[in-house]
Amino acid sequence: MIHKILSRQSLLFSLAIILSGGCSRIDHKQSALDPKGIVAQNQYDIFMLSVWITIFLFCAVGGCLLYVLWKYRVKNEEEAMEVPPQTHGNSKVETLLILASTVILVILAIPTLQGVVLMNRVPDPNDEATLKKLNLDREQIEGAITVNVTGKRFFWIFEYPQFGIVTANELVFPVTKAIRINLKSEDVIHSFWIPKLAGKMDAMPGHENFMWFIADQEKILSRTDRHGKPFKENVATAMPSVFNGKMREAVFAKQDFNATFEPVGGLFYGQCAEYCGNSHAYMSFRGLAQTDADFAKWVERMQNAQNPNLKTLQWDSTKEYEKGSVVIAKDESLVDEYEKGSAVIDKEESLVDENSTREFRALSKVSKGDEPNFSSGSWKKLNSNDYEIGKALFLGSQCGECHALNRTGIGSKGPNLTLFGLRTSLAAGWMRNDRTNLVEWLQDSNKVKFGNLMWNGERVDDKHPLRSFKPLPILEEDGDQLKEEKKELNKEKSIRVNQLVTYLLDQR
Amino acid sequence: MSDAATHALEHHEPVTSTGIPSKKILMWAFLGSDCMFFGTLISTHLIYRKISATVGSTTVDIRNIFDIELTSFSTFILLASSLFMALAVSAIHKGNLTSTRWMLLGTIIFGSIFLACQVYEFTHFVTHEGHELTLSHYQGQDHVFGSTFYVLTGTHGTHVAIGVFWLLGWLVYSFTGKMSTADAMDIECCGLYWHFVDIVWIIIFPVVYLMEYAF
Amino acid sequence: MATESVKYVAPETETKLQNQVFPRPGQHTTGIIDWLTTIDHKKIGFMYGLTALFFLLVGGLEALLIRSQLWNHNLDILNNREYNQMFTMHGTTMVFLVIMPLSAAFFNFVMPLQIGARDVAFPRMNTLSLWCFIAGGITLNLSWFFTGGSPAIGWFGYAPLTDNRFAEVMNDMGPDFWVFSLQILGVASLLASFNFITTIINMRAPGMTMMRLPVFTWMTLVVSFLIILAFPAITIALAELMFDRTYGTNFYDFQEGGKPHLWQHLFWIFGHPEVYILILPAMGIVSEVIPAFSRKPLFGYGLIVFSGVIIGFMGFAVWSHHMFTTGMGIVATSAFAILTMLIAIPTGVKIFNWIGTMWGGRIRFETPMLFALGFITMFMIGGFTGIMHSSVPIDAQHQDSYFVVAHFHYVLIGGALFGLFSGFYFWLPKMTGRLMNEKIGKVVFTLMFIGFNVTFFPMHYLGMIGQPRRTHTYNLGHGFEAWNQIATVGAFVLGIGIAIGVYQFVSSFFDKKLKPAGKNPWDARTLEWTLSSPVKEYNFARMPIIKSRDQAWENNYGPKEKHSEKEPLDDHGVHMPDRSWCPLVTGAGLLTLILGMLFHATKDLETGVVLERDYMIPIIGGIVFIIGIIMWAMEGPGGYHLFPKEDEE
Repeated sequence: MIHKILSRQSLLFSLAIILSGGCSRIDHKQSALDPKGIVAQNQYDIFMLSVWITIFLFCAVGGCLLYVLWKYRVKNEEEAMEVPPQTHGNSKVETLLILASTVILVILAIPTLQGVVLMNRVPDPNDEATLKKLNLDREQIEGAITVNVTGKRFFWIFEYPQFGIVTANELVFPVTKAIRINLKSEDVIHSFWIPKLAGKMDAMPGHENFMWFIADQEKILSRTDRHGKPFKENVATAMPSVFNGKMREAVFAKQDFNATFEPVGGLFYGQCAEYCGNSHAYMSFRGLAQTDADFAKWVERMQNAQNPNLKTLQWDSTKEYEKGSVVIAKDESLVDEYEKGSAVIDKEESLVDENSTREFRALSKVSKGDEPNFSSGSWKKLNSNDYEIGKALFLGSQCGECHALNRTGIGSKGPNLTLFGLRTSLAAGWMRNDRTNLVEWLQDSNKVKFGNLMWNGERVDDKHPLRSFKPLPILEEDGDQLKEEKKELNKEKSIRVNQLVTYLLDQR
Repeated sequence: MSDAATHALEHHEPVTSTGIPSKKILMWAFLGSDCMFFGTLISTHLIYRKISATVGSTTVDIRNIFDIELTSFSTFILLASSLFMALAVSAIHKGNLTSTRWMLLGTIIFGSIFLACQVYEFTHFVTHEGHELTLSHYQGQDHVFGSTFYVLTGTHGTHVAIGVFWLLGWLVYSFTGKMSTADAMDIECCGLYWHFVDIVWIIIFPVVYLMEYAF
Repeated sequence: MATESVKYVAPETETKLQNQVFPRPGQHTTGIIDWLTTIDHKKIGFMYGLTALFFLLVGGLEALLIRSQLWNHNLDILNNREYNQMFTMHGTTMVFLVIMPLSAAFFNFVMPLQIGARDVAFPRMNTLSLWCFIAGGITLNLSWFFTGGSPAIGWFGYAPLTDNRFAEVMNDMGPDFWVFSLQILGVASLLASFNFITTIINMRAPGMTMMRLPVFTWMTLVVSFLIILAFPAITIALAELMFDRTYGTNFYDFQEGGKPHLWQHLFWIFGHPEVYILILPAMGIVSEVIPAFSRKPLFGYGLIVFSGVIIGFMGFAVWSHHMFTTGMGIVATSAFAILTMLIAIPTGVKIFNWIGTMWGGRIRFETPMLFALGFITMFMIGGFTGIMHSSVPIDAQHQDSYFVVAHFHYVLIGGALFGLFSGFYFWLPKMTGRLMNEKIGKVVFTLMFIGFNVTFFPMHYLGMIGQPRRTHTYNLGHGFEAWNQIATVGAFVLGIGIAIGVYQFVSSFFDKKLKPAGKNPWDARTLEWTLSSPVKEYNFARMPIIKSRDQAWENNYGPKEKHSEKEPLDDHGVHMPDRSWCPLVTGAGLLTLILGMLFHATKDLETGVVLERDYMIPIIGGIVFIIGIIMWAMEGPGGYHLFPKEDEE
């Protein structure tokens, strides 16, 4: 009931905003005025109630003030010298006004208290009355997904304890289920704010906080187009599946990164809302709504990646291999490739040995005793050369010390990069996750995100190996030869970074 | 305008609206504020008390560190000093300079004994029990007790020390020959401060020490 | 044992002629020495005001840099660290170095005149308070020049971001400067408040009962009590932080058992009363201005005073509404939500009463009145958004968004600053003896009112569409650009308005061409308007005997029995206390002490480990401080006598 009244009022409110500034849309990416979940809707309803109360009060008191100012203004010199009756007050009027303001506050207090309970507690699945009021099914609550969210400077870790998987910066969730969020922090205080779904809650170090949300599929599907006309989006376009990269494609295809309004309904924007240091502004994240089936498939892929059932075997000439077996063998050509890049990264003998080995898949059965002959048609490289060199670079540049890839890596220093190629965004939701941006990010992350810890390292002013990818500046005063050398070197660096990017974006 | 008021305007103590000397009101306002200082410190200690002392996961018994007999003794001494202070104030009001001097000296000595006990306690804790201000997980301890204990009792000790120096100032002043009953009010303010510091200790002693034996 | 007795002297007839132990500037001192050693509450008020106006320009400049950086997405006018330093310094400056001292300037200048006192109860302590405030301002702004630059921790300095562990510049000294400057500013506020409390309780003229006190004086009293009860919390919190940063204690270090929550509680136990410390003086000013320009007594005086006291009292019970999103649990958040709503009632009462005052009056729209009306309307909007924030579910969206920025600027600029500007236009003629140009005053008001609303109204909307505060930039595609540009334009308009206003205030001290103000240019109502402008050194030649609440008004318009009387001239003349160097020496000692503490440790540049501690300079500072106090105690009030004629006041 109240909801219906309020939605009409919200139209009026947006009208007021149009009048005040000529903006016709309120469904901006992080808009709290465009709730898409039960908790956010409740917060929005109470907000609109308070807006109407205050507009009423402002008009009443302000109107009274204007009336007084107009009526009792001094019109001429003589009037300015008049002495009006010196009245000192009227206790009846004052008591009345105090009572009236108390009543108005009670009107706001009741939904507030109800809202506090709603925000802090997932409804009891046995409490049918509440469920009915919220228009929820029992199983939506019983099948709730728990996500442990950890805020770190300056990104987010999302851990799904029910499934044993960890991801970062993009929270994939099923649209029909309640999502329970346990918040903590490992350094300073952060605040998890996802305006369209549930408001915010702080992530405190040494203290766990709780919030929850549940998206509303109906609301996600009812959209307005660029001219402000309402339309119904279908499930496939509103919530493209994440696990096979459809979401990423859809986001990239439909949207300029700078589109003000989000064309993919199932994509939600979030932001750290508690000041947490230099790069606080860059600490955003995304929520990706999925249908139940798509979510289950994404979970499966994540589980496969983080608990790999693909076991590679060391080549052993005494052993027989079935068709489809994967073996690790040394590829001499790759060593050469890699050594070319030695200008960029200090070569360590052991690394070259270890990382230039690569995986091959048998195309037919290999009988005992044969040395692997990779030139023949019996073996296929599992990955491209660029991928392999990228992998070598990933390990050689000590990326693995901070970033877990295909491992769960809870509490690692950097974001988990498992299935990184499926992510829509990069650098904690700051950029689109495509090749150009990733290259830019890796070559000079300090330029994109000043003060990020990947550039600065764990300790301030640490020389992080990643800095070696930064192109050398070509200066006017450099001699021609030096310029040539630098250009050559920069080209080389660019190749290396692209190989690393290939490796990362192929994680899908 | 009355004669007395005419005189008062030109002299040291002007007539006040309430009849209470301004310095006394100032002292009461300061003590009110000081209550909040100690209130904040004591609540910090109470908040941290339960999580204060663990080595690894086992709780350390603070009682083994405390020397409760010594602290009880110093508490008694500090309380006794309040009596001397009260007598000193009474003596100056009566204009008895000799008695004022002795009572001030008594207060100073007892205050100093209390301070000496505290200094001994601190050094003993640090050197013998290894109970330092900065105990941290490097020593395998989650330890806020060092922080709250030293800062709380240290702040109180500072108050006592300031009081001792203040009283010492009066004692020296009493030998200049300028002391008169007109100074009674100033000494009374000093007394107010001293009693307040005592009362704070009466709260700190159970909260920091005795409570460890009760709960 | 022989008993030695001292001379018995009855307190009221005591003659205690102090020897001139130290050279003290005499009666006829002028120039810089006069300003350095003055103990006159009016001159101290001037210096408080001028210093605060200077810092208003500094803080305003910081605000304009902030606004320029937000002009468009991904701008690089300031990088993120510089931006973070800027908003930290802007907040700290505006709260501690602008609004509070501006209020203190009025407390100093106006309050003793309103109660019929010749000075505050402890004039030298008042001077020390001024020097402590200036020392605090210097300390805070010195931070720009040392390792790490200014603090980048926010004016709230939430632990554990202030911990050394999370410093983003090696050996960052910014937070240390912040801690120490806030400590010394706290000393300044506490000293001033003890003084004001004693003065109001004890120095009232005969007949000036508590319920005849002007509302501004009442608000001074309430604010002083708030300060002495709220500042200890932050002082201890800062001391604990100082120990954490300097000596490695673990008060806020969560990795070693400390609780970051504790900082937030201690900070807001101080911080919420602080909000009322900032706004109540402005309410007091408005409660003086509106009756004067409506030619009517204040409507419901008792209720206004009572609601001021209630606001002050309840201010201590609502601090946790700043922490609704920190996870305090359902019960605590609900309780604080309800308490916060309740505090809106006494605030509303004040607004009703101001309108009631104007009802049936003769309203003149001169500049002080315009600012007072601006105060009422803008504060009303700020109050309404405040009520919204008291509702926890709404706050879950608004917390740390631009909506909150809009809210508290409506309270602190639209409220406090407009109120203080109203006070300047109202009382500056009393201070300088010259009337300011009305036309310029109205231009200033127009620029400030328009600029202010253009800046901060769009921020409500920006907050609702998701712009978080304290972010140095925003990404493209959020639709924030247009509104930020409007806000930035508005900020510059506001800045121009304030700059003209400040220029007008300062120039009115020097501009001889301005019209003389006379005793009571506004036909205002309270006691200070019975004195000449500028007020004589001794304020009152003869002590007034108060007969009614609005004494200046009753003297002109009231019945005979309500006219104030005067005590007869005194044969001894008016006793004036001597000027003194002691407050300056003491203040300098304190400044040396804290600067010495800031630099006492030699640190390893690579690891930040303390290599050596050298306490030489702090000890010297401490000794100077103690010597200052001993000199202070020994020199006594001293004094000389003035013999004004009957009506020279």
